[in-house]
Amino acid sequence: MRKKEKKGFWIQIVFIALMLVVWETAARLRLFGPRSEIIFPPLEAIGRAFVLNFAKGYGGVSLWRYIGNSMKLLGEGLLIGIILALILSGACMVSVSFRRIYSLVIAVMDLLPGVAMLPVVIIIFGISPGVIVFLVVHSVLWPMSRNVLDGFLAVPRIYVEAGKNIGLRGISLLLGVYLPASVTYVISGLKVGWARAWRGLISAEMIFGIASCPGIGLYINQMRVNLNNAEMYATLLVIIIIGLIVQYGILVPIENRTVKKWGMSR
Amino acid sequence: MTEKQNCILRIDNLIKIFDDAETEDTILKGLNLTVQRGEFMCILGPSGCGKTTFLRCIAGFEEFDGQIYVDGHKCSVPGTDRIMVFQDFNQLFPWKTVEQNIQYPLKLQGLRDKDELRRISEESLIKVKLQGYERYYPHQLSGGMKQRVAIAKALALKPALILMDEPFAALDAMTRSELQEEVLRISEQEGSTVIFVTHNIEEAITLGTRILVFQKGGQVVFDEKNPIKRPVTPLAENYGAIWEKLHRALHSEDGG
Repeated sequence: MRKKEKKGFWIQIVFIALMLVVWETAARLRLFGPRSEIIFPPLEAIGRAFVLNFAKGYGGVSLWRYIGNSMKLLGEGLLIGIILALILSGACMVSVSFRRIYSLVIAVMDLLPGVAMLPVVIIIFGISPGVIVFLVVHSVLWPMSRNVLDGFLAVPRIYVEAGKNIGLRGISLLLGVYLPASVTYVISGLKVGWARAWRGLISAEMIFGIASCPGIGLYINQMRVNLNNAEMYATLLVIIIIGLIVQYGILVPIENRTVKKWGMSR
Repeated sequence: MTEKQNCILRIDNLIKIFDDAETEDTILKGLNLTVQRGEFMCILGPSGCGKTTFLRCIAGFEEFDGQIYVDGHKCSVPGTDRIMVFQDFNQLFPWKTVEQNIQYPLKLQGLRDKDELRRISEESLIKVKLQGYERYYPHQLSGGMKQRVAIAKALALKPALILMDEPFAALDAMTRSELQEEVLRISEQEGSTVIFVTHNIEEAITLGTRILVFQKGGQVVFDEKNPIKRPVTPLAENYGAIWEKLHRALHSEDGG
């Protein structure tokens, strides 16, 4: 097993190195003529831009500030979305009528891209960070609810009965049995929800950046407007890196400490 | 002590009907029964006779008509005075360690003292010979060990009644006889009252101080004290006779 994993890791490294070589070759050969510098800036330029993004930033504001703003709004939205999803899915276990209605709401709302609601949301919230938080909540709430509800409904009857037998009722049964028993589902909801929220956040920031609370999306857009494409690519790298950090620094450890440790997933 | 004071479970006219939209199935047709404190009552019966449903009604997992009194109190919902040990190995919460599985119900009852909790869980694990496994998660245990923990969990709560629904049916023969011995020893030491559902005649004779046979509709066709002194072995006097009687009672509806 270990050996196989190691081999897989090296294959991935070789693949990445190969891609970088292809990129650099395309840049050196100026494959796209005069536009080549914009489409394929040399790796060195991207690397320098990566450092400059943080050191100098744009208009005297470092990329750190942009990242900080984005992460703050993302964090607020995720927190609200996750808590709402848990409360509403929990309510579904109490009332069957509510479950019917909420399932319908999930099915409908999940199809609506957050960005498509921007015009309305802007009218409600004005051009304020609230819009971004709303969009993040929208992206995480529905997939998370769908997963949590599926998880609750899939809890084996024996856990519920064992829970009732030792005196759990209502909310204590929900928190003491339903929630831990469906952690697998909650985590997969988190994965989907977080990825959607992250993308939704960047799109929204790109479509309309808020000067009072500038985020990563706005930064990319500013780079685009100024044709600083090396900086733009460098920022895309930052987006990927943040995504990887959340995946491997937060979600995977959560998984290892719960379902893996409890033998509920391989 | 008079007979009445000694009675821990009284069941009056217990009726259970499973009511699907199309079919109406009467599982228990007016069952009356009393169980004395300290009795180890084994219930034998063919599948579908209602023995599990009977146990589930006592546990409060099913709605029913009629009355069930435990220690003089009327019961209709689950409670910690009647702890169920299921056949399914997965009755322990996988997200809690062995120790936490035992302590959690006690915490719910308001016991907060950590030393006391540890003392109780250690004590009940010693009773089922699982000391040293406190920190294990259920998925790290074998089926037999999980059943031991389930029994330890029940013991820690000191319930009026321990309800066991074929707890050893899915175990291999060797582990089963080992666990039978443990349960026998524990129930004698603790003076627990146990209602034990099984479809295995030998198991009923080995464990029960009183043996019942159910037939369709929860009809009690056999109800006698076990005449064989413990520990029961197949060589004991009367073993063959009681086996024969139970076998006949079990197959009384076969028309043979």
